[in-house]
Amino acid sequence: MAGRSPKSGGRKAPSRKASQEFVSEAEEILERMRVDLADLDDQRSSDRDIDPELINSLFRSAHSLKALAGMFGLEAIQDLSHHLEDVLDGMRLGRVTMDSLAVGVIDEAVRIFASLLEAIGDPEALLAVSAPVEDLSSRIQTIVKPPEAEGDSFASLDIDPSVLRALTEYEEHRLSENVERGRHIALVDSTFEIVSFEEGLGAISTAVREVGEVISTLPAPGDTPESQIRFSLLVGSDLAVDGLVERLDDPAVTVRCVLAGQTEPETTAEPEIAEEPAQPIAPDPVIESLRSIGETVRVDIRKLDELMNLVGELVIQRVSIGEIANRLVADPETARVGGELVKIHKALDRQLTGMQSAVLDVRMVPMRQVFDKVSRVVRTLRRELDKDVRLEVSGADTELDKLIVEDLIDPLMHIVRNAIDHAIEPLDERLAAGKPPQGTVRIDAFQRGNHVVIAVADDGRGIDSTRLRQTAEQRGLISSGDSLTEKEVFDLIFEPGLSTREEITETSGRGVGMDIVRVNITSIGGVVDVESIPGRGTTISMTLPITLAIIQSLIVAVGRHRFAIPMNSVLETLLIEDAEIQHSEGRELLNLRGEALVLRRLASEFELESDESTGKQFAVVIGMGELRIGLLVDSLEGQQDTVIKPIQGPIRSVRGIAGATESGAQDTVLVLDVATLVEDAGRRRGVE
Amino acid sequence: MTSGTPHNETQMPEWERLAQAAAVQGGDAQSVDEVVQLLSFELDHSPYAVPVEIVREIVRMRTITPVPRVPDSVRGVISLRGQIIEVVDICRRLGLAPIELNRRTRIIVVNLDDGNAAAILVDAVKEVLRVSKEAIRPAAASDSGAIESLCEVGDRFVSLIDLDRVLTIHA
Repeated sequence: MAGRSPKSGGRKAPSRKASQEFVSEAEEILERMRVDLADLDDQRSSDRDIDPELINSLFRSAHSLKALAGMFGLEAIQDLSHHLEDVLDGMRLGRVTMDSLAVGVIDEAVRIFASLLEAIGDPEALLAVSAPVEDLSSRIQTIVKPPEAEGDSFASLDIDPSVLRALTEYEEHRLSENVERGRHIALVDSTFEIVSFEEGLGAISTAVREVGEVISTLPAPGDTPESQIRFSLLVGSDLAVDGLVERLDDPAVTVRCVLAGQTEPETTAEPEIAEEPAQPIAPDPVIESLRSIGETVRVDIRKLDELMNLVGELVIQRVSIGEIANRLVADPETARVGGELVKIHKALDRQLTGMQSAVLDVRMVPMRQVFDKVSRVVRTLRRELDKDVRLEVSGADTELDKLIVEDLIDPLMHIVRNAIDHAIEPLDERLAAGKPPQGTVRIDAFQRGNHVVIAVADDGRGIDSTRLRQTAEQRGLISSGDSLTEKEVFDLIFEPGLSTREEITETSGRGVGMDIVRVNITSIGGVVDVESIPGRGTTISMTLPITLAIIQSLIVAVGRHRFAIPMNSVLETLLIEDAEIQHSEGRELLNLRGEALVLRRLASEFELESDESTGKQFAVVIGMGELRIGLLVDSLEGQQDTVIKPIQGPIRSVRGIAGATESGAQDTVLVLDVATLVEDAGRRRGVE
Repeated sequence: MTSGTPHNETQMPEWERLAQAAAVQGGDAQSVDEVVQLLSFELDHSPYAVPVEIVREIVRMRTITPVPRVPDSVRGVISLRGQIIEVVDICRRLGLAPIELNRRTRIIVVNLDDGNAAAILVDAVKEVLRVSKEAIRPAAASDSGAIESLCEVGDRFVSLIDLDRVLTIHA
């Protein structure tokens, strides 16, 4: 085309990229806020004490969002987060009561943020959102009360007024909260060496937090040697002073009662010098949030792919260096230099291998991220469907390739939703069946070999295989004469014609769309299995490859052509002689332990010249599901780590070829698409 | 048939746009709009060219791995910086004798319109030409439909290849 203008595009690119960065970071913050809000909601509805850290965390999120929006000049978001910050600040300081009105406002703000994010770059949509923003902002202002003049609520405290004066507003609020709750208030004093005071102070703070709250950490007056420093911790705890002393178990620490919570007596330990090392003191909340941004970096997965490719290039160059080194060694004149180069080459080899696995490692994310999302959905569903269901998870540390995790979330959510909606029975039904009133959905993630298994188990009604079979017959999916194993019957829930029917949900205990689940999981190289015991529950397990990035392949050769076959579809390899090959209707067969294995010659599949002089060949038995064939090749050349890449160019896909992989210096090996090869062999068998 | 531009308002003859530009800029022939950069190369002893901006990279011959079940014009694939790219022998598409691989043979990697990459084999890479748009005229007749225009350089004509058309291969 003649009109390929070099100057089109490019102009708007930077701002778009920047706003993309903003959106992805802002979404992460919103995600965190939603989690915190859901927790807050839980704590409120269960009448538990609200964890002050939860409010702090929400406050930090609003603060980060404000800062972020300011950086990108997004005023609407900046304003709203500023107001939100006010409410949350009010909550942490006790100026705003944590009633449903206030929580509702936060909830609404998070929703408006989400629509603001969607509207970015679209002035009209932004305008449409601006009215609710203003409305909410003005409502927030009515909620936030000005700070109250602090009364003499601390009059009963046996404490130096200078200490009280040194408290921040937040600390004052926390102090009065603790007093109101009837906790013991104490001053924990200790002296530290200046060089290591952070550690000692950290240790005491940690110990105190196990039994209470550190309201404030203050440098304490008093005579200390030059090299030492003295600190007082103002502590609120359910333990009285002697309990604290026992807990801290350190003769160097003094505990003095400021206010007895219930009726326990005051005890004092001997003051002495502490030298116990541990962690630094808890930083200020806002500073902490900034630090957490500094420790992690958000990276586009494509950049990781690039990095991986660069490492691949290095590996290739390493091979060339090895070849040169060997040539130098072979020549007596350069053997000494060659020997040195060989050594360097070996070291390089080790480091490159380390680098390769480090890059791979970066792509891995723990299942915890997925579980957090699922647990939020479960909470919402519990409310929506009015079912008492508990979610149990295990294996949150199991790691999976980021790309796989992305594709896993939807199917997993679907399975969990179905379990709660359809599998877990209503309360009366559960009680009649003698089951505990609360239903349980359990997700286990664990590694098995090169795969990760994610199993979702419910203790619901299970699948009624008889009725499932009947329905499948009515739909014409199977005929009444078909003999199916129980597993095959269960697998029917993945049939599109069956599970898309709404009425089946009652009999199968499964909802709609299970066919989609299977399609999605298969597309990332996974397998879905279902097990069920009627009346006891159903388990659906997904077996996924740990990474899409690297797989083990078997390298085979036909003539001078080499191909890679993914090891996960290789069942076995056999050395066979021409005489062993049998014929039927022009097809070649092998008697494999009594079964007729159909053989296909890779050379004739791909019209290649093969080396037939030896009278021997290898059969690589490959299979997908029940179908299996023996692929005849000239030789096997061992296994190799392969990264399957798509082929770029005018011809996107070649039947039978899944992609290609690099191999050694500038060489490329095509990767066979086992699924289509096996399928084609099966199809041709049907036609013939 | 001339290659159509998608927008009506820009659908004016080349000379008219040039005249407009010249009127605004006072006829200084060095402005960006009027000069086109072309990468020229040799196919079957004749000069051909493609716009420089679509060229991603020029590489020396390396192992080309043949791919089964594709038309003859696809010689195979190469791996380049972690990407696997098809190598097309465009001589076969232009009705010329297939390229013989030797020391001068080069592989030109290009970006296609759809963001995809592809590679073509050429007998030799010549130079980057800076030519005025005036020197480019539509090709009178192209048997393969792949030559969109001719460019006069000195007294020789360089054929401009429409790669997106050449590389549309129906397997």
